[in-house]
Amino acid sequence: MLIDVSANIGHWPFRQTGLKTCRELLGNMDRYGVETSVISNMNGIFYKDSHAANEELYREISSEKRFRGRFVPFAVINPLYAAWRHDLLVCSRELKFKGLRLYPQYHDYEITDPACIDMVRCARDEGMVIALTVRMVDSRLRSWMDLSSEWILKDVIPLIREVPDARYMILNVSGGIMLNDEDTALIRGTDMIFDTSGRNISDLGSLLKKYGNDKFAFGTHSPMLDYLTGLLRIEALADNEADESTREMLRSGNAKRLLGI
Amino acid sequence: MITRRKFFRNSALASAGLIAGAGSAGMACSNRDNPGSYDIMEEALKFRKINAHEHVYLGSEPSSLINAADRLGMEKLVVSLPVTVEDRVLVTPEKFRECNNLVLKAMKLFPDRIMGQFYINPYYSKESLEEIDRCVSAGMVSMKGYYQVKINDPLYYPVIEKMIDLKMIILMHTHCGIGVGGYRTKYGNIQANASTPDDFAGAAERYPEALFQYAHTGGGGDWEYACKTLRDYPNVYVDTSGSNNESGMIEYAMKHLGEDRLFFGTDGSYYQGVGSILAANINDDQRKKIFFDNYNLILKRSGNHVD
Repeated sequence: MLIDVSANIGHWPFRQTGLKTCRELLGNMDRYGVETSVISNMNGIFYKDSHAANEELYREISSEKRFRGRFVPFAVINPLYAAWRHDLLVCSRELKFKGLRLYPQYHDYEITDPACIDMVRCARDEGMVIALTVRMVDSRLRSWMDLSSEWILKDVIPLIREVPDARYMILNVSGGIMLNDEDTALIRGTDMIFDTSGRNISDLGSLLKKYGNDKFAFGTHSPMLDYLTGLLRIEALADNEADESTREMLRSGNAKRLLGI
Repeated sequence: MITRRKFFRNSALASAGLIAGAGSAGMACSNRDNPGSYDIMEEALKFRKINAHEHVYLGSEPSSLINAADRLGMEKLVVSLPVTVEDRVLVTPEKFRECNNLVLKAMKLFPDRIMGQFYINPYYSKESLEEIDRCVSAGMVSMKGYYQVKINDPLYYPVIEKMIDLKMIILMHTHCGIGVGGYRTKYGNIQANASTPDDFAGAAERYPEALFQYAHTGGGGDWEYACKTLRDYPNVYVDTSGSNNESGMIEYAMKHLGEDRLFFGTDGSYYQGVGSILAANINDDQRKKIFFDNYNLILKRSGNHVD
């Protein structure tokens, strides 16, 4: 069984992509044996009132019966924008969203901004998982209207240090996967996962040793990256790097544990 | 603090009718049959592969290269070792000969797997041409250029002419980044002498009988810009290596360049190299061409093809 922890729907304004809708994404899921996808709506990165994207996502998932049980929705909310607490509680209590995706760079705030920390604590108290995407695109070929810099892994550490008892997903890790001892210990002690879509997951066997078998999960970063590289990294592991039990943790077990599903 | 009562009273969603019954968009137990199964390793291993862009002793020993190749079913690897120094004067003949000697060493270690690719610096013209002769005599099959000299620089002309005679392809490092010359939208490069797609177009126009390989569409440059620029130059091929495995890249390259001008490569990003081709919305005949046939046809011109 496969659970993809890092998919998106919606429109990316700087280049044409596929898989913009649940219907399109479900087609890929069925083709490649993915039972469930954790999704958020990329439109929320670009709307000033990002909650409108959460409402779109809810409508989209509710629009066809066959979508039920196949998608785990995450909200996109900007803690500097009006009524974030209201929006968060709507997502958690009414729409039953399982998590919250943050985009500090796109929404133009520091990850240690008190409003961000406040919102993460609130989401934690609601039982939501916090997802941080290290980068949406490779900044080297960004649009001239897109961000000119990108995070590396250590840039998300200050938030985890501030709210260590929340649950986290760190997605599309593209730089700085080899943390120092102090930050490695923090990661090992946190209930979190990295997805396998990022380019820094080049030696998953070694990373399992460094961070633990419970710290990684299959992810695609769809529709920005190709759909299969994250899976290939898991299935190409040698037997001395991951036994079948570990592979199952990576395919779906760790995601189930973190999401409580 | 928002109380539960206040929260539900204030909820715009309830009044907007967004909540449909007691339904939840969230995770529920699925009552459908399991989705189709897909054995990615079976798919990965069913295609023969020539890796048209790889390096050795540039962060990886030959043995680790072969380990990655074995995992992902790469039968042959075309490898080189460029000097990553921008200043063309500093990349002396001694240095590029030393690099090529290391490639020869790797070829001897794994003669059935590693195909050598010589690296030269055309700033030292005479020595470069002599080095090409030495390396071809030793069994190398193609050439690697780096960012010391642009592909359309006159310094390259004698090298290109020699490669035409040898019927071998020139793999040239490239980049295609934005934000140069004071224009956010102008394309150029961080390294002044790294080749851009437009530089390739210039070289291809001057030498339509030469064979050029535009390096790593997934290497961080703007692959859309590159493919559009190169579409009318049939003697320019592209390899799809690099760490940036954006969705749609393979399909886009095929749309603009056709299915015969794409090579599989990794440039150190083994999983992206294979995964992006497996995931592309193309058929298996096209995958076979990219993974193996297209580059093998290039090798065949010089008699170095794989049977």
